Amino acid sequence: MKQLSVFLENRPGRLANLLKILEENKIKLLAMGIAEAGNYGIVRMIVDKFEKAIEVLRNANMAVNQADVIIIDLDRLTEVAKLFGELGINIDYAYSMNDNKIVLKVDNEENAIKILNNKGIKFIA
Amino acid sequence: MYKLSKKEIIEIQNKRLRAIIKYAYENSPFYRRKFSKIDIDSIRTKEDLKKIPFTTKDDVRENYPLGLLAVDFSKIIRFHASSGTTGNPTVVAYTKKDLENWTELCARCLELVGVTSNDVVQIAYGYGLFTGGLGFHYGAEKIGAKVIPTSTGNTKRQIKLMKDLGTTVICCTPSYGLYLAETAKEENIDPKKDLKLRIGVFGAEPWSENTRKKLEENFVENAYDIYGMAELTGPGVAIECKYKNGLHVWEDYFIVEIIDPNTGEVLEPGEKGEMVITTLMKEAMPFIRYRTRDITILEDDQCDCGLDHARIMRILGRTDDMLKIRGICVFPSQIEEVILKTNGLSPHYQIIADREGVMDKLIVRVEVAENFKTDKLTDVVMLQRKLEEELKDSLGIDTIVELVEPKKIPRSEGKAQRIIDLRKMKGLL
Ligand SMILES: [Zn+2]
Repeated sequence: MKQLSVFLENRPGRLANLLKILEENKIKLLAMGIAEAGNYGIVRMIVDKFEKAIEVLRNANMAVNQADVIIIDLDRLTEVAKLFGELGINIDYAYSMNDNKIVLKVDNEENAIKILNNKGIKFIA
Repeated sequence: MYKLSKKEIIEIQNKRLRAIIKYAYENSPFYRRKFSKIDIDSIRTKEDLKKIPFTTKDDVRENYPLGLLAVDFSKIIRFHASSGTTGNPTVVAYTKKDLENWTELCARCLELVGVTSNDVVQIAYGYGLFTGGLGFHYGAEKIGAKVIPTSTGNTKRQIKLMKDLGTTVICCTPSYGLYLAETAKEENIDPKKDLKLRIGVFGAEPWSENTRKKLEENFVENAYDIYGMAELTGPGVAIECKYKNGLHVWEDYFIVEIIDPNTGEVLEPGEKGEMVITTLMKEAMPFIRYRTRDITILEDDQCDCGLDHARIMRILGRTDDMLKIRGICVFPSQIEEVILKTNGLSPHYQIIADREGVMDKLIVRVEVAENFKTDKLTDVVMLQRKLEEELKDSLGIDTIVELVEPKKIPRSEGKAQRIIDLRKMKGLL
């Protein structure tokens, strides 16, 4: 699954501006996580129209990036975290999603997918 | 011969200094007024220069066109002029002797970087009122090199001649050098393979080590910095030697002082400040303690090349752009150089000086590039810290870096509004 991330200054109105652009372009937000440190924030998102979102945000002069993430059901998180831990796969960050799901960014996606498949755990990647 | 020992240089300087002060006083009404309160016989060494008031660009402007003249009009055989930013150009006059001396200085410069009579020297500085073209022309001719006086422009023809005549030395501005390299590549000519450029002599605008790297990777084998200005005869005042560690000033022709631009106090070698130059040999228009507005550092120790002529470091900027933070001079050019070599940043920035209590603070606000990787917050924080560390290394003071979103720094036509001194606005300076 492709995630979008945007660099924002940690100031009032910046997030609202971002959301407004998405809304105006009829892009639906499926999940969102914010990480902030001091003056900066990074907003990570899963959206329904990925390519379109990249285009409109870049046109709005935002620093946009993409990354691959894995989505699993929230009630399997404990189990998955344990499995990953045993195999030395690190979860860099996570944020929740609608529909009782959670978005995971891991440092070794290939291995993560392999183990999820092996254990028959449902996921979207 | 210009290979003089330090002792010989000082002897010549003192002798010529006494002579030029007397000459200027006796022959130029401008200097007679300026020196009216000074016992000119007491000016015997470089140290005594402190007693003499500075000559400034404003003096030149107010005495337009020839108020500084120290010879009879009949002795003049040439005029040059440099464009002023406002109003009148700066006009300079030359006697026959002045042109001979200028030729000698430019020949020395070319010789120092290794130009010989076997070289084919292409001069792509402007010929005309600007001193660049003719200065190098005289110098290269004196050496006996083969001169191609292309002047500026017609870039494709420049490259064709370079290739067909086997140019080995190119003289031009660094920005035009980069443009020549780019254009050559568009013409399917790889300068490093298809041309024979051994030496590039680049001047007339300040440039950086990054630019040297680019010029040497894409254009010439060795790129050298040269310094000069019309008031000081033109190009040829100082040039880098093969060690590329500062520009040797021809001290038998010029005395260099470095001053604090705010107080006028003379600084020690190694300290950064405004360069003040006294011409020792100019006849038509001597410049005594001329404030160049260029900021640099004077290094007086012996260079590895063995030459005893003191060196000035690359020009760091103009006094107009300087900021004083906690007693230390800071130039936008230094900050720009750090920003340009850091990945993930755009070249758009703003420098904000402010004061909290008694402490000055310097904020560098810079845009992240649009392709900046934003997945992890640590990347952002690391970038900020890296920039803060490198700025501290380069400037010698702590700065606060603020990364901002792309296109958030206001753009302007012409000269960018890069410096905001809130201390000035608050009336604290
Ligand atoms: Zn040297």
